[in-house]
Amino acid sequence: MENIDTLSVLLTVPFAGALLSWVIPRGLQRLYAIFGSCVVLALTIYETASVLFATTASQASSLALEQKLPWVPELGLSLHLRLDSVSCWFVALNAVVALLAFSLRGSWYRKNPRLFTSLGFFLVFALNSAFLSANLILFYLAYEAVYVPIILMVGIWGYRAKATSVYRFFLMSFLGSVMMLVSIIYLISLYHAQTGQYSSSLFDLIQVTSTQSPESLRWCFWGFFLAFAVKVPLFPFHGWLKEVYVNAPMPVTIWLSAILSKLGVFGFIRFVGPLFSEVAQRDQGLLLALAAISVIYAALLAIRSNGPKTLLAYSSISHLGFVMVGVFALSPSGNAAAILLSVGHGLVSSMLFFLLHLIEERKEALSLDTYHGFAKLYPTLFAAFFVGVLASVSLPGTLNFAGEFLVLLHAYPASAFCTILASFGVILGAVYMLKFYQRIGFGKENPSAVTTNGTAMKDLSGYDLLILLALVLVLIYFGFQPAIFLKGN
Amino acid sequence: MTLSLMILFPLLGFLINGISHLIAARNGKRVSSEVSGWIATLAMIASFVVAVYFYFGLKAMPEDSRMIEQTLFQWLKLGGLSIPFMLRLDSLSVVFALVITGVGSLIHLYSIGYMNHDETPAKFFSYLNFFCFMMLNLVLGATLPHVFLGWEGVGLASYLLIGYWYADPEKVSAGQKAFIMNRIGDLAFLIAMFVAFKHFGTLDLVDLQKANFSPEIATVFGLLIFFACTGKSAQIPLFTWLPDAMAGPTPVSALIHAATMVTSGVYLLSRLQHIISASNTVMMIIAIVGAATAFISALIACAQSDIKKVLAYSTVSQLGFMILGCGVGAFDAAVFHVMTHAFFKALLFLGAGSVIHALHEEQNIFKMGGLRAKLPITSLTFIVAWAAISGFPPFSGFFSKDEIIFQSLVSDHGNGMLFATAVAAAFLTAFYMTRLVVLVFFGQSRVEAAVEKKIHESPKTMTIPLMVLAVLAFVGGWFGAPVHVGGLEGASDNHSLEIGVMVGSVVLALLAAWIAYRKYAPLKTEEKANRFLSSGMGIDSFYDRVIAGGTRGLAQGIYRFFEEFVVQRILRWTSAAVDLSGNMLKVVQIGSAQAYLMMILIAVCIFAIWFLKWGTSLG
Amino acid sequence: MTMAVEPWMMLVVAVVVFSIGLMGVILRKNLLVMLMCIELMLNGVNLSFVAFSRIHHLIDGDVTVLFVMAVAGAESAVGLGLVIALFRTLRTVDSDQIQMLRD
Repeated sequence: MENIDTLSVLLTVPFAGALLSWVIPRGLQRLYAIFGSCVVLALTIYETASVLFATTASQASSLALEQKLPWVPELGLSLHLRLDSVSCWFVALNAVVALLAFSLRGSWYRKNPRLFTSLGFFLVFALNSAFLSANLILFYLAYEAVYVPIILMVGIWGYRAKATSVYRFFLMSFLGSVMMLVSIIYLISLYHAQTGQYSSSLFDLIQVTSTQSPESLRWCFWGFFLAFAVKVPLFPFHGWLKEVYVNAPMPVTIWLSAILSKLGVFGFIRFVGPLFSEVAQRDQGLLLALAAISVIYAALLAIRSNGPKTLLAYSSISHLGFVMVGVFALSPSGNAAAILLSVGHGLVSSMLFFLLHLIEERKEALSLDTYHGFAKLYPTLFAAFFVGVLASVSLPGTLNFAGEFLVLLHAYPASAFCTILASFGVILGAVYMLKFYQRIGFGKENPSAVTTNGTAMKDLSGYDLLILLALVLVLIYFGFQPAIFLKGN
Repeated sequence: MTLSLMILFPLLGFLINGISHLIAARNGKRVSSEVSGWIATLAMIASFVVAVYFYFGLKAMPEDSRMIEQTLFQWLKLGGLSIPFMLRLDSLSVVFALVITGVGSLIHLYSIGYMNHDETPAKFFSYLNFFCFMMLNLVLGATLPHVFLGWEGVGLASYLLIGYWYADPEKVSAGQKAFIMNRIGDLAFLIAMFVAFKHFGTLDLVDLQKANFSPEIATVFGLLIFFACTGKSAQIPLFTWLPDAMAGPTPVSALIHAATMVTSGVYLLSRLQHIISASNTVMMIIAIVGAATAFISALIACAQSDIKKVLAYSTVSQLGFMILGCGVGAFDAAVFHVMTHAFFKALLFLGAGSVIHALHEEQNIFKMGGLRAKLPITSLTFIVAWAAISGFPPFSGFFSKDEIIFQSLVSDHGNGMLFATAVAAAFLTAFYMTRLVVLVFFGQSRVEAAVEKKIHESPKTMTIPLMVLAVLAFVGGWFGAPVHVGGLEGASDNHSLEIGVMVGSVVLALLAAWIAYRKYAPLKTEEKANRFLSSGMGIDSFYDRVIAGGTRGLAQGIYRFFEEFVVQRILRWTSAAVDLSGNMLKVVQIGSAQAYLMMILIAVCIFAIWFLKWGTSLG
Repeated sequence: MTMAVEPWMMLVVAVVVFSIGLMGVILRKNLLVMLMCIELMLNGVNLSFVAFSRIHHLIDGDVTVLFVMAVAGAESAVGLGLVIALFRTLRTVDSDQIQMLRD
């Protein structure tokens, strides 16, 4: 484990960014936020590269960076951070999504912008803590800390039903994570019973659970399961999602969809898998069935939905169902494929929401009540949008196809029925995505849209164009070269 | 000279045209049809040159090792799976490659003139090049996922090109229907890949031929693959998208929905014939579906009034022949028919496009007639194609179709019923094609007066491809015809039966042509067609109501009964539970000092009992 | 029948007195009565202190009793003063009627 001191940089820099935003003038907040997230991204790339491209022998064997800072030794608490082939992609995704979320122009930069960037960076900090932690109590704290910025951001800049939606979100997530806390405490007490000491480090607890019988750990497993199942979300714990996505400001929707859901995925891969491998095997059929049902159920609801944000919300659940199929295959290749698809989904959903925001901007500027004919007015925007749609539909050649194909392929031996059921999502996905794309782009264009009152918005240009071009290239390039995401498995 | 050049040229054409279109569109300008068209056509011609080069390279190799491979990079690698991005050319794929690049080049050339007045020709040509890139990946891919890449890619190209004139919602919806129906087939392809990986352990096409398998697995795999092919090759039950696909520009219909994309199913079946022919069940199903489709769609074609719809149903029918050929084990014959069909069907579509162009977008054959004089080249080449498809020797279609009909009788997998259906379908083919030719080019002119004045033959860029294709439709059959009739292939054993079948089919074709001529030559007004037949036997509206409507209904039902009732209730109950418990516990904060005192008393009593019983230690 | 007064008897009396006082505080409504009952509780506690000092033959308990008595006296003076001030404004000593700080 080299580079002992550098991992905590991934925590301190976002935190410092949160504090620093209070001294930056209001008008420069968006630039500052973009700059800050680029800094975080650069650091993340550096750290990830040192993990993946190990140069020394000791690094090559472990493929991980670790850092352990003492906190409360008597209780066995330490700031145990670990960046390995599992967590590095989530940390990287966190940085990229932060960049995308901060790039959107909107009311959050006009009203209380300092608070917004501060909360945003705090969210990045909390998420990084969660993804990097190898200590259960630390993970729980970070997991809970995530609520604060989300609730505040939705509450301040959200839309009509923001209060009830965020209340329900908080309630369901919190109930789930309290179950997890109970399980964590149980595990710590088990460890204490065995060794007489306290520790909440993941590796110590794995040793404990491996000595227990699967029967006795069952309810413990379900405690963890509940917490993560609500976060992902997995059917039938998805009820909170649609309302929050629709009523949240767009950057928060991007954060929720692209990275917060991955907290659940990460929790399963990092904690539940190693801790409860035998227990999970017994219930694997049920788990896979839930994931497959998630795919189909959410896809059907997406077909039925009317608003664009609602449709993308259900689409998100459906794709995460695919990811969970990979996770519940309970194998290293299943996990790797699930991580690959998570990255793909994170990029695609943030891209689609980003584009939706740009489209809504233009629609408002043109005072249209329908979208018709956008494809002709904004060709580059629509080309990018179409690539996003294709990736969402998992067209071969995109990153999402590589992930989805590998997930289904490696889940097939575990349960042919569930895999086939989930695969129907391929057809349904095409149905609702095409309908969405066509309704926005096609039909006779609104004649009044061509000439507006002088403040006509242009097609994609400048910074937006750069970002979307980069996303398109990443989606296509890694569609053919996904190997780097699968490394270490 | 590497294999990858074959796919590289169309890719470059796609990128160049696509990017220049986007840049021009942003600035409100337009790239001309000539510039973008020639870029695209030259890319295709270059690709064709590469294909020809490798054809001769293959011919020079010994017969049983005719294969050229090229690995470009590692694509997917996880667990036991290792899929490189590899191109492979052998005697099967070279035929397809030549057809795609050759006929493709001709159609590209034709499109330059056809899309002259279009608003965004650069976009059109970029889509066409993209299609060819994907189609070539399909036939050159060495692994099933690579074929799948091309498979879905051409489906995407088809969607883009059918719905090309997106201002019209009907055209967009036709493209959508094609994409979704194809996707249903693609699902079967995906599952087949999962089955193959689990039971055969490999997804490489060559390794699959050598794999060990049980007949049951072969049946499952074969059925899945065949279902995927019914989607792509427009067989029963997934064929209704093809007639609707005629909404796209005519060169698209010629290239995609006649010559190339729809033949992917035949390619896949031939490629996997080792596994598929091991299961008699699958072969039987393939043959029956092929024969049934051939016959039924031929019937429907007899009742169509739109020139492109006739050709569309004709394509479905001819594809049925090819699938029938696969089903009776005559894979070579099926591929042979793919080639000849590409020639004459592309010719038919391009000719139809020429007619439509000349009549200013009129597509109703009852508003045509007597065009022979005004459109000499078009009509002559069209008649050559008519002869080919109806099965008159020495035109190409005769040899290929005949081989299939013969095999359906004599092959191990064939039987009398299949033979009879195939013969009936061939009879109908001659009938409806003669009907079409007579109504369009012969007899009295029923063209509207205003249009009649402006009829003119098409420009050279459109007529030269017609002429080249006509030559190919004429001589193309010699490649695969049996030796004793002057061709190059070996003869079969049942010499006399074969001659008998040949003669019989020609006689039947002549009979059908004569009946059609007698009926339609003197026709002056619109024919009252059988409603059942002309609407495609109601299958399309059935799908729309039952499947599309059913899915929507299911979605709505699930929303109402499950999402609203159950899931939202869970949500409300959790928040209600929390509120309730809060309210209950609130009682403690009663504000009465006496109540507090009482609680303290109770707590002290409990502690007292605890300590008395268990001492003061906490454990 | 003469009996020596055993310490345990004193403790029983102390408990009884204390309980009567406790019940009184909890169950009676009149503020003055509640104050009197608080005094009862204090007296019960005093008795128990004396009893324990008897048992252990130490003087500590008795000294504590002196402290308790002093504090109790001060406390009743303050308590009565509060009740009188309350009565002047609210014209009642019924604890049920005094609800201004309640839910």
